[in-house]
Amino acid sequence: MPLVDLGAAIALGLRYFTIIYLTGLGGLFSERSGIVNIGLEGMMVVGTVMGAWGTIAYGPVAGLVTGAAAGLLFSLVHALATVTFKVDHIVSGVVINVVAIGLARFLSQLFFGQATQSDPGIPDFATINIPLLSSLPLGLGQAFKGMSPVVLVAFLMTIPALFVLNRTRFGLRLRSAGENPEAASSLGVRIWPLRYAGVAISGALAGLAGAFLAIEINGLFREGQTQGLGFIALAALILGNWQPLRLMAGALLFGIAQAIPLRLQDAPVISLLPEEFIRMIPYVITIIAIAGFVGRVQPPAAAGRAYEGAAT
Amino acid sequence: MATEAATQPRIRPEWIDFLVAQLIALAGAFAFAALIGAVIVIAYGEDPLFVYRTVWAFGTSRPQDFAIVLENATPLIYSGLAVAVAFKAGLFNIGVEGQYIVGMAAAAAAAITLSGLPTVLLLPLVIVAAMTGALLWAAVPAVLKVKTGAHEVVTTIMMNGIAVSLVAWLILHPLRSDVQTTDLRTTDFPDEALVPNLATSLGIEDVIPDSIAHLTWLFPISLVVCFAVWFMMFRTRLGYEVRAVGSSPGSAEAGGVSIGGTQIKIFLISGALAGLVGLNHILGDTGYLGSNYETGLGFSGIAVAFLGRNHPAGIPLAAILFGMLLRGQDGLAILTELPIEILIILQGILILSVVVAYELVSSALARRRQAQLGQVAS
Repeated sequence: MPLVDLGAAIALGLRYFTIIYLTGLGGLFSERSGIVNIGLEGMMVVGTVMGAWGTIAYGPVAGLVTGAAAGLLFSLVHALATVTFKVDHIVSGVVINVVAIGLARFLSQLFFGQATQSDPGIPDFATINIPLLSSLPLGLGQAFKGMSPVVLVAFLMTIPALFVLNRTRFGLRLRSAGENPEAASSLGVRIWPLRYAGVAISGALAGLAGAFLAIEINGLFREGQTQGLGFIALAALILGNWQPLRLMAGALLFGIAQAIPLRLQDAPVISLLPEEFIRMIPYVITIIAIAGFVGRVQPPAAAGRAYEGAAT
Repeated sequence: MATEAATQPRIRPEWIDFLVAQLIALAGAFAFAALIGAVIVIAYGEDPLFVYRTVWAFGTSRPQDFAIVLENATPLIYSGLAVAVAFKAGLFNIGVEGQYIVGMAAAAAAAITLSGLPTVLLLPLVIVAAMTGALLWAAVPAVLKVKTGAHEVVTTIMMNGIAVSLVAWLILHPLRSDVQTTDLRTTDFPDEALVPNLATSLGIEDVIPDSIAHLTWLFPISLVVCFAVWFMMFRTRLGYEVRAVGSSPGSAEAGGVSIGGTQIKIFLISGALAGLVGLNHILGDTGYLGSNYETGLGFSGIAVAFLGRNHPAGIPLAAILFGMLLRGQDGLAILTELPIEILIILQGILILSVVVAYELVSSALARRRQAQLGQVAS
């Protein structure tokens, strides 16, 4: 039976992939514009609570929209602090994460009448079966049965992401703001709107991912449900060298790792470990991946640096 | 020559400008946060002045109220210091959370296995165990940062996740109480491992009953630790190197400071300080480590450190303010219809506005000094 377990693990891993990949893509736009964003986790948290609210009120599609909108609005605080007020990007990101926990409690109290969770069983999406792949033998087809349509959307997001980043004027300018804002500015490109846009995209995608987590994985909003996934997305971004396709590979690795404690706890070798140690696996894999690869990647040159404006 | 010097514009000593700027920034940030808070409170149809008065009254009206405030502040002073010392070297220890959880488990293990020793031996050993456990937990991200460049923000967060599972396992298996208990927890610690209550030691438990406030000697000790951190930061070679690495790694290295070595040292010190965060909870209050132990103290420490300007004198003040807001939640729950989370929001707005206000004021200050120096030069 282990192969059926593997199929189920991949199925769940693809759902976690969706969260990590969408959030990582958001982080990619923010960091390629020059704004380091470790507030992704907090933006995702706001997405979970507002996504759950939107879903309960108007259904899962609306939930994704409200989650993304809430993430976007919240991310503007980070943009305001880092771009306009030139606060250190990591300091602002840390504060964003601390504030998000309180904000989520507050909103949860407001909308669900309790601070730490919504009622369970919020409506989710109708699932789909991927033709051909879902009839793979040995139980592996399990991986592609009952898939959330949003997972497919996440994979397809790669195309517009690559197109915008590499084939549009906006993408070129965004990247120039992250590589050499002084040079870009001397050519007449205004830096701050690009950086605001980069951060806003990251907030919207992190919020969307948070809503997906609430709707399609947990079926409710619960305090602490993001469990560091925003930081794992950041790790995938580093592992992916700030490139969408490599980011996708990293997100797949971390996504499947997330599913190990939940679906492969009875697999050979793993089952020898106590349950609590199995739960450490995704974190350990993330640390090893980051420590092993980080020296070989190249972050955007101006990421983390405030743009001081044209010299007078 | 002398007359020429006399006509130069006078420049105030830098530290006065600095202090005034800090105070202006703080006042501005507080006013802004209070204003936003008032808008939220009014939106709920309550009176903001009454809300702020209630928070103040619940923290200050009786000695025992203020004792609760100080009890709340105690762990936050330690976690604020832990965050601040790392920050001074340009490092972000987001892992205080995991480090103090591991520290509590190490303290529990020491208290239980060394049971039988007298207080003078056992209590210091338990405290050292907590600091060592947390220090080892901080060593992993510190070494990875220096050896491989893995960013400490990502690795410490992952270490937090691992700590939660590890301590859950420790409480469930090796440290589990042999006695049947309703909740999942360790054996009760021997009395010799507990930190004495401050009011009881001073003979004023009729004013501050120890059943109400668990204010222990760990509070005055935290102030001593603040002084020790100040001394280390501003009066020792290590502190100088830490500040050099934090403010300008390039010049520090050119001056012969080993960046990696300094970062590892300060991160380990940060971890050791983190080990003290959970002690008031288990050694001053519960007397055992339960699976429902207090969480979030490490993250609050980040907020305390930022609010206290990462300075050992500012951190206790920021921690006491947070202790008061925490105590004020009880007041809001009893006397108003407001959700108590309003104070958490207020806390967040306050930190954000403080960070922005300091940034604005210090860049204004830099511009002014530049202008003054320019005047002097011309």
